[in-house]
Amino acid sequence: MPGLGTSFGRGGATTAQQDLSNSDAILIMGSSMAENHPVGFQWVVEAREKGASIIHVDPRFTRTSAMSDIWVPIRAGTDIVFLGALVNHVLQNDLAFLDYVIPYTNAATILSEEMKDTEDLDGLFSGWDEKKKRYDPETWTYAGDEFEGSSGHDKGGGGHGKDRGGEAQTFDSSIRDETLQNPRCVYQVLKRHFSRYTPERVERSCGVPSEAFLRVAAAFCSASGPEKTGAICYAVGWTQHSTGVQIIRTAAILQLLLGNIGRPGGGIMALRGHASIQGSTDIPTLYDILPGYLPMPIFDAGVTTLSDYVQKHRSEKGWWANFDKYIVSLLKSYYGEAATPGNQFGYEFLPRLTGDHSHQGYFLSMQKGEIEGLFVMGQNPAVGSPNSRLERKALSALKWLVVRDLVEIETASFWLDSPEVQRGELNTEDIDTEVFFFPAAAHAEKDGCFTNTQRLIQWHSKAVDAPGDARSESWFVYHLGVLLKEKAAAVPTPRNAALNALVWDYSTHGSIAEPSAEQVLKEINGWTVEDRRLVKGYTDLKADGSTACGCWIYSGVFPAENENRAKAREAKTFLGHGWGYAWPADRRILYNRASARPDGSPWSERKKLVWWDAKKNEWTGNDTPDFTKSKPPDYRPADNARGDDAIRGDQPFIMHPDGVGWIWVSSGLKDGPLPTHYEPLESPFRNSLYDQDVNPAADRMAAADNAWAASPDPRFPHVLTTYRLTEHHTAGGMSRTVEHLAELQPELFCEMSIELAREIGAEHGGWVTVSTPRGIIEARAMVTPRMRPLEVEGRIIHQVGLPYHWGQRGIVTGDVVNDLIGLSEEPNVKIMESKALVCNLRSGRRPRGQELVAEMKRNAEQASDRLQKAGGQS
Amino acid sequence: MTVTGFFTDSTLCIGCKACEVACKEWNEVPGDGFSFSGMSYDNTVTLSASTWRHVKFVEGEPIIGTGGNGGAEMTWEFSSDVCKHCGVAGCLEACPTGAIIRTEFGGVFIQPDICNGCGYCVVACPFGVVSKREDDGRVFKCTFCYDRQIAGLVPACAKACPTESIRFGELDTLLEIADARIEHLLSSGMTDATLYNPTDSSVGGIHAFFLLRGDPRSYNLPPDPQVPTTLLAAGWKSAAATAGVILAGSLLAFVLGGSE
Amino acid sequence: MSEAGSGRASETRLEALKEQALRSGAVTAEGIRASGGPLPPASPTTGYYGTPLFHEPTWTWEIPLYFFVGGAAGVSAIIGVTANINGLNDLSHDARLIAAAGSVLSGVLLVSDLGRPGRFLNMLRVIKLQSPMSVGAWTLLTFSTAAGVAGAASLIDQPGGNPPLRLLGDCSAILSALTGAVMATYTGVLVGATVIPVWATNVRTLPAHFGASSVASAASLLEICGHRQRGLGRLATLAAAAETAAAVHLHVRTDRSLEPLKRGLSGALTTTGALLSGPIPLALRLLGSRSVRSRQLAAVSSIAGSLLTRYAWVSAGKASSRDSSIPLRLDRPASTSEG
Ligand SMILES: Nc1nc2c(c(=O)[nH]1)N[C@H]1C(S)=C(S)[C@@H](COP(=O)(O)OP(=O)(O)OC[C@H]3O[C@@H](n4cnc5c(=O)[nH]c(N)nc54)[C@H](O)[C@@H]3O)O[C@H]1N2
Ligand SMILES: Nc1nc2c(c(=O)[nH]1)N[C@H]1C(S)=C(S)[C@@H](COP(=O)(O)OP(=O)(O)OC[C@H]3O[C@@H](n4cnc5c(=O)[nH]c(N)nc54)[C@H](O)[C@@H]3O)O[C@H]1N2
Ligand code: SF4
Ligand code: SF4
Ligand code: SF4
Ligand code: SF4
Ligand code: SF4
Ligand SMILES: [Mo]
Repeated sequence: MPGLGTSFGRGGATTAQQDLSNSDAILIMGSSMAENHPVGFQWVVEAREKGASIIHVDPRFTRTSAMSDIWVPIRAGTDIVFLGALVNHVLQNDLAFLDYVIPYTNAATILSEEMKDTEDLDGLFSGWDEKKKRYDPETWTYAGDEFEGSSGHDKGGGGHGKDRGGEAQTFDSSIRDETLQNPRCVYQVLKRHFSRYTPERVERSCGVPSEAFLRVAAAFCSASGPEKTGAICYAVGWTQHSTGVQIIRTAAILQLLLGNIGRPGGGIMALRGHASIQGSTDIPTLYDILPGYLPMPIFDAGVTTLSDYVQKHRSEKGWWANFDKYIVSLLKSYYGEAATPGNQFGYEFLPRLTGDHSHQGYFLSMQKGEIEGLFVMGQNPAVGSPNSRLERKALSALKWLVVRDLVEIETASFWLDSPEVQRGELNTEDIDTEVFFFPAAAHAEKDGCFTNTQRLIQWHSKAVDAPGDARSESWFVYHLGVLLKEKAAAVPTPRNAALNALVWDYSTHGSIAEPSAEQVLKEINGWTVEDRRLVKGYTDLKADGSTACGCWIYSGVFPAENENRAKAREAKTFLGHGWGYAWPADRRILYNRASARPDGSPWSERKKLVWWDAKKNEWTGNDTPDFTKSKPPDYRPADNARGDDAIRGDQPFIMHPDGVGWIWVSSGLKDGPLPTHYEPLESPFRNSLYDQDVNPAADRMAAADNAWAASPDPRFPHVLTTYRLTEHHTAGGMSRTVEHLAELQPELFCEMSIELAREIGAEHGGWVTVSTPRGIIEARAMVTPRMRPLEVEGRIIHQVGLPYHWGQRGIVTGDVVNDLIGLSEEPNVKIMESKALVCNLRSGRRPRGQELVAEMKRNAEQASDRLQKAGGQS
Repeated sequence: MTVTGFFTDSTLCIGCKACEVACKEWNEVPGDGFSFSGMSYDNTVTLSASTWRHVKFVEGEPIIGTGGNGGAEMTWEFSSDVCKHCGVAGCLEACPTGAIIRTEFGGVFIQPDICNGCGYCVVACPFGVVSKREDDGRVFKCTFCYDRQIAGLVPACAKACPTESIRFGELDTLLEIADARIEHLLSSGMTDATLYNPTDSSVGGIHAFFLLRGDPRSYNLPPDPQVPTTLLAAGWKSAAATAGVILAGSLLAFVLGGSE
Repeated sequence: MSEAGSGRASETRLEALKEQALRSGAVTAEGIRASGGPLPPASPTTGYYGTPLFHEPTWTWEIPLYFFVGGAAGVSAIIGVTANINGLNDLSHDARLIAAAGSVLSGVLLVSDLGRPGRFLNMLRVIKLQSPMSVGAWTLLTFSTAAGVAGAASLIDQPGGNPPLRLLGDCSAILSALTGAVMATYTGVLVGATVIPVWATNVRTLPAHFGASSVASAASLLEICGHRQRGLGRLATLAAAAETAAAVHLHVRTDRSLEPLKRGLSGALTTTGALLSGPIPLALRLLGSRSVRSRQLAAVSSIAGSLLTRYAWVSAGKASSRDSSIPLRLDRPASTSEG
């Protein structure tokens, strides 16, 4: 989550859900928390009962809106206008919490003269390379510091590596103007940048009446200052956009200006997805980072040796000065004995990125027949992934496919009963893919842990044996590894060197030889190499190869034999200390040094959390201080100070080399140092703010079956958004197959306003057909006043909503909504834009068979032609 | 044993249906059929032998700039319905086998090993709760988690509720809490908040009572439910009179004699 | 997921559905219904999307038939005694036999309607005066025993035969007559003392109505068996008169809850039933009282009428249960003060 990573230093929610109960205002936007995080939502209800104002900004009136004090319908894909206007509202009315902003953010920092803003270049920042289609961040740096290049912008390199908030410059000689008067200081630049984001603009672009906007502004911006705090909750209603990361950035800027980071009742609650999706970015299932947000080495990037790599990613100042300790300890845990100073601790064994290996990237390669085999474990792309029609067809280009799941999902049966087979696009006889289905053990059937939405590592113990042949992931991967290592050992070629070097010594138990999950967690925690003593935390890690650690940020979760802190089950504080273990170092609210004034005293009695105890000479309070315990508030680093010593005693954002929160991100983001509104890749409108219509760095991924509509295209006049229902889970493998859930929402429906229904002659409960240039599906009409037509750019537009849980298998079935979504990549995290696109809606059922195929073809061709004619960006 | 009850507060309900599912899982209640009802997000439609907790969705017209909690107007109310465990329970009164009993917790419980499926309770419940399971022949409804209460556990539905919309506890305490709550809501401008607990009807108050917004009738809750036993006197009087007339009449008819 | 409760009926259905889903890739199982066009909203004037408040009465075809048979048998038992008192022994003999046969048939019908017939005896675990069903069960038990004994006695009993047997017969006959009177009327209370609007509003009239109809059917049955006593005719005529009065009374009342008795299938049944058991036999008996044929016709008409009437009331009850406008007082102006 580079939006948070670049702004604050760590790519995780800054707070804990329990803490929401301390908020004076909660802005829920891009999330339907009551529906998708119902258990966490109890603390929002608690805050509401205590008198906090709850605000929900959402295209639809959802169950979350029903629990809120203010609901504002917004045109999908215009959040940056809305949030930017909030930022502007704060700046124009001098509502910023300056006592916080000046010392704790880079608002006062002076920017280099070369930097040109989107206001100067009509929607582009300086440094845009039209040929390469990317930004060169050289001009974004602080004045006075010198540029030294940055990893985040290498070809193929994704943005996840920048979750650590890397930087492109030395921070030796940056200049600050604490009066905030200097026209080149971040504060003034920000003011100019958002000056045109006014309530009137919100009304025009978002379709939100300005009085509604002002009501939100008043309610939320008042939750600021020493006595009050406000929190922001978001989830994929923000992330699944071509500007997703920048939407989150706008929220970060707003919270920094209001002084709401690192304080109780404040923060940004990034609501994550699957039970352990946070865990799967920390110890990544992503292609471009290694555990603990260490960037994946990139092929041919002028980086060949470990020292180059360290040189490139370590920062001289701030916590990341320890970079070498973490990578070396990781290499030691991978390659053990085989990792020696002599061979750069096996750095050579690490694979290198050669391009975009993200989910969508490799499915395009698959479509082209460039990929032989695929393991799908715990995912159902045939239903859950964008342009699932394209992806299902791509699967048929594989030689072999391995699917591990609880049930035989659509992905495993695409060759037999996929919509393509049913409508004759694919022919079972002609599909050569060899499909292997392995039953998987579910979480209650195996030991392990989840890392939840608030970075909380929670252990779960096996409750029952898995049925039949079902096995855990660790069982499957471990035994597969054993077999591969046997083969590799037989053929000790350089190609196999990495496999042969790999340590694979997990102990197994029971009749099925299940590997020990606790042993894995210990490896993650880290130990000293020669006597395998568990380390107490990441501060014990060394760069000399004397320690091994599987993921440095988790270090401390297993500090001693028989002390699995993820197993802890006695919450002792309102933040839940004593229940599970939150990374890093069991800090529940990150950057909590900011909950005290620069002098170390709490901002107020009501909002105290962590403060400086002058008697004991240490930081203390209700949370683990996110700061060097003994560093006094008045500490000032020596000129040549390095690492954490270079961070002053009044600089809470210790991951950042300058110790402050970043309103301005000089590098680490591929689409600009500040957020800017661009229209979604498909929109009924062109960008009326700038000449640049869409995010220049976003990728529409031109490919067969991935056609796009021009903006606007009269054939696709409505805004389409997709989302979840409480009653189901994502692609449905876990809910459409369970009677007691399936019966609660048995059919795919399409939410539309009464006005739109009248316009197209649809009847509530009847059938409607939804189409985009990529697909055509049918759904039951859910005609409801909860959907509102909006007046945007002077005309009425309708928004259409589709939950995306259905597929052709299970107890209840329905069309696959993702057939409508395009493959596309937001530049930083390569996520698709499934929350804002355009569609056509008509009454009645869709055609079947060849007729359907023909219509899809026609739609794609017509849309593409129009896009050609429109030319250029739109 | 203390009398326990449910205070279900719709103003805290987020419509997640965890109660409905938890009930079905704990009590192994069979499925309810896979039918799209079109009734907002409610597809189980009614309390029945196969749905003992039922979350109702009452949709209104949202107003931009005010949420569902906006004082005066109610927009999308969720309310989790359940057997009322009536003070005077029509089903219990009517049951000829004594299958329906009042437990030590004051709940109304159907003993499945005794019910013979005569179906008389079905037409005796003023709230349309209990119904017959065709494939089984017997009738079923909320057991008030008698098994869990015996074991000192909270009923499954209340346990699963994330927002304490379902409050379980000692009935008298709950009634006090409810009064305080409605006071608070009314004084804070939620003028349409109302307690549903027909204490002055022949039902004599219910052990599972509700805090709602708007008119109870929108939630299929009868304004003045009556226990059918109130009709017995009239019925039997008429029966007795008729019986008398028949006896006397047939005697007379023949006394007058005559035939061909 | 199958652990959820394997072996349960629902789970077997689930398996079947899964099967179908896997085979055809689509589930078309019954129960998958669309709301079919616009629904009434959830409001004080439409209730909860117009869904019924009550569940339908579960009674199947056996119950109305039981009402008819039980009633006829009950009154036969009475005639069995009153005829005997008046020395009409043949009549009394046949009446007792009809009562006995009817009582047995009643039991069979009642039991077979139960969801769990094997558990009929559970009815005898308790005596609950506040439960008409319980009272009815005990009444039927006593009645059928008494009527059975009485019937058997009069079968075995030869002219001038043994006094003890006759005494036993007569005593049980008297008992059967008394319980018979209850059999003829209690079903009205059983139906009336419920939440079903059309039944509840008629809780006063139903016992009388069913009683009269029982008299008519019993008398008519005996006439059809060839008995010619005036007494029978008088009873049948009075009953027909009462039924006519009942029909007229129903016709003049405009109470909304009576709709099901006037419209739809149940309405048609009611009207036909009323005609057959009221005006028609009455006219036949008054005008053609001299002719045997017309009295036979009247008898048949009364029997058909009283049978139809019972079916009419049960189907009216089912129709009534589907309309929540009465229990919800949907005609009342909106207000939130209830409860
Ligand atoms: N019950 C249940 N819980 C779940 C899941 C589930 O499937 N079922 N999935 C889990 C997973 S994997 C995830 S990632 C999370 C997702 O949690 P959420 O992000 O809350 O899930 P969504 O329903 O996809 O989207 C949330 C809301 O975003 C709104 N929205 C769409 N477009 C826009 C926009 O442009 N701007 C704004 N402001 N809002 C927009 C939608 O109307 C929707 O109400 O939930 C997790 N929790
Ligand atoms: N249009 C649209 N598309 C979307 C989204 C959207 O909002 N709109 N949301 C996106 C988001 S945020 C997400 S997270 C994805 C989710 O999309 P997917 O991840 O593809 O869908 P899931 O159904 O969550 O797939 C998880 C599978 O893992 C299986 N499973 C569960 N536990 C285990 C286990 O222990 N081992 C194994 N091997 N398998 C297990 C489940 O049965 C299930 O089939 O959908 C994305 N797609
Ligand atoms: S499903 Fe699990 S993670 Fe999601 S809300 Fe419920 S408890 Fe929390
Ligand atoms: S609500 Fe109905 S089922 Fe429940 S106790 Fe009352 S009468 Fe019986
Ligand atoms: S159906 Fe069962 S519970 Fe209901 S009245 Fe008859 S015996 Fe009692
Ligand atoms: S009390 Fe028990 S049986 Fe009754 S609704 Fe709740 S969970 Fe179901
Ligand atoms: S569990 Fe609680 S919040 Fe969820 S639907 Fe039931 S009552 Fe409402
Ligand atoms: Mo997700």
